[in-house]
Amino acid sequence: MMIELESVNKIYNQGQPNEVQALYDVDLVIEANSMVCLRGASGSGKSTLLSIIGCILPPTSGRATVAGKQLSRLPDRFMTIHRRQTIGFIFQQFNILPDLTVQENISLPLLPLGVSPEERRMRAKVLIERLGISHRQNFPAGQISGGELQRVAIARALINDQPIILADEPTAHLDTKLSKEFLQIMVDLKKTGKTIIIASHDPLVTEKPEIDRIIDVTDGRVDVS
Amino acid sequence: MSPAFEKHLNLLDYALSSLWRRKMKNLGIITVFAGVIFLVASFQILTSSLTSIAETMLAKTPEIVVQKMSAGRQESIPLSYLNRLDGVFGIRAAVPRIWGYYFDETSGANYTVMGVERNAMPEGQRLEMVIDGSYPDAEPGGAALGREVAANMNLAGRRTFSLFRPDLSLKTLRITGIFAESTNLLTGDLLVTSLDDARDLFAIPDNLATDLLVYVTNPNEISTIAKKIAARLPDTRVLTRPQILKTYKVVFGWRSGFASICLLAALAAFAILAWDKASGLSVEEKREIGILKVLGWQTTDILTLRYWESLTVAGLAFLIGCTAAYFHVLFLEGSLFRPVLLGWSVIHPSLKILPVFAAGDVLLIFTLSVLPYLAATVIPAWRCSTISPDAAVK
Repeated sequence: MMIELESVNKIYNQGQPNEVQALYDVDLVIEANSMVCLRGASGSGKSTLLSIIGCILPPTSGRATVAGKQLSRLPDRFMTIHRRQTIGFIFQQFNILPDLTVQENISLPLLPLGVSPEERRMRAKVLIERLGISHRQNFPAGQISGGELQRVAIARALINDQPIILADEPTAHLDTKLSKEFLQIMVDLKKTGKTIIIASHDPLVTEKPEIDRIIDVTDGRVDVS
Repeated sequence: MSPAFEKHLNLLDYALSSLWRRKMKNLGIITVFAGVIFLVASFQILTSSLTSIAETMLAKTPEIVVQKMSAGRQESIPLSYLNRLDGVFGIRAAVPRIWGYYFDETSGANYTVMGVERNAMPEGQRLEMVIDGSYPDAEPGGAALGREVAANMNLAGRRTFSLFRPDLSLKTLRITGIFAESTNLLTGDLLVTSLDDARDLFAIPDNLATDLLVYVTNPNEISTIAKKIAARLPDTRVLTRPQILKTYKVVFGWRSGFASICLLAALAAFAILAWDKASGLSVEEKREIGILKVLGWQTTDILTLRYWESLTVAGLAFLIGCTAAYFHVLFLEGSLFRPVLLGWSVIHPSLKILPVFAAGDVLLIFTLSVLPYLAATVIPAWRCSTISPDAAVK
């Protein structure tokens, strides 16, 4: 298995007046090379769950194991290293730096790894061509369309060839055509051996036949169907 | 190339492009910072340059000056004291000197008048300052003038001028030479005459002089001979050349130090401003840090990035500030701060100053400017980069 959560709880601002429990005793197993959808309304806890799987947030209690590493035992530094080796993120807001060019944005994860500029350019070029945004590679990201931004975000998530791709509400800002295109890219990625986890309540995603499993998240509790 | 070195090159490259993306803001910081460094460096260079000039000039002055003291004040010294120096081993020559200040009511300036018998002074020690013309050696009624005195007198081609004796009768002197500009620190306000002419001008009795100049055979023995003189003439003050040089250094150092403290306050204000700017990172900057962390950048990577950014800004400001200060002293002769270091006076020595910028000065300015800026910008960035990437992205 690729991901295993056991009795995972997440409490924000623990011990303070504004304490909020986002997840309650989550037990979850996700197999490698599967395509999974976390379904739930806004505020249900699916983004928090995605952040824990993505090694961005540590669980307050319980055990989270991602790609063979138990997160709760990892210090922050090693969690970061594990994240960059294992997880590729696609955010709802894309989180692209608008002043950098498309190619620079895609290469960002490679900078602290000591990858040479030539290799960065080469790796980015392969992804840029694969995702059909070659004509935009030297454009500042702030000057391209939403669909193109989405592809930049996907390319950036793939640049380090991580085995897990996490997407948080990826179709929220896309029209139907672009959403379908995005999902097709995810299906294609799954065929290359990636594990895909998408948090969404968009029917286009949840009703996609290629989705292996739907995991419902309601008020911080997980219902595995 | 090793991955670690390549990583630093990548981060430096990213830092430079990041600075370029916020070029207007960073240009503003560099301009203000360079301005503050320029002020501090100008003072430092000017102080070192003036001290160096003083050292060069004072090398041509007598090794020992003997002044008679009475009730803690200097008074004229009897020429008979010269006889009491006979037998002090190591004295090459001892000659009387008359000097004093002459207030020129027309221009409101004070001139320093010095009367000596150059022929009685040892070879190689006869003032020996570069002069356009000659010294008024054996010619009665002659005078050599400092460049500033000559300019101040508005001679308009005349070769004679008159000064008032204490009884308001006029004494006319003929110009025999003008001191070179390179000696201005010592000669700017100077008027050299023969001993007799100075005596006549100030109405000093024949048996008195202002002080005695003592030249020694071995310069290494200056302090020993000074002690012997002080023992023989207990009612005198014996000044040595190293002491006078030290006094110059103290005066320049004090003035420079006073001004530097004022400028350090400006530097401190800038550091506080930098801290405030950096600790109040904009939402965009915080978001960028968050994105980088999510993408696998470690806290140390972000700190290295901020370090390169700050070092580039501070290094550029340091280079610009120091270079501007050097040229300010070289081409404008430190005109902004010269009055502070040389004192306010009607007669100002116009010096040809060659900038002296020692390694110690560079290090001092670097320590006082670049390091506080690095601390003021990197520490807040560290505080920001240690927060959870999740919070930063949200």
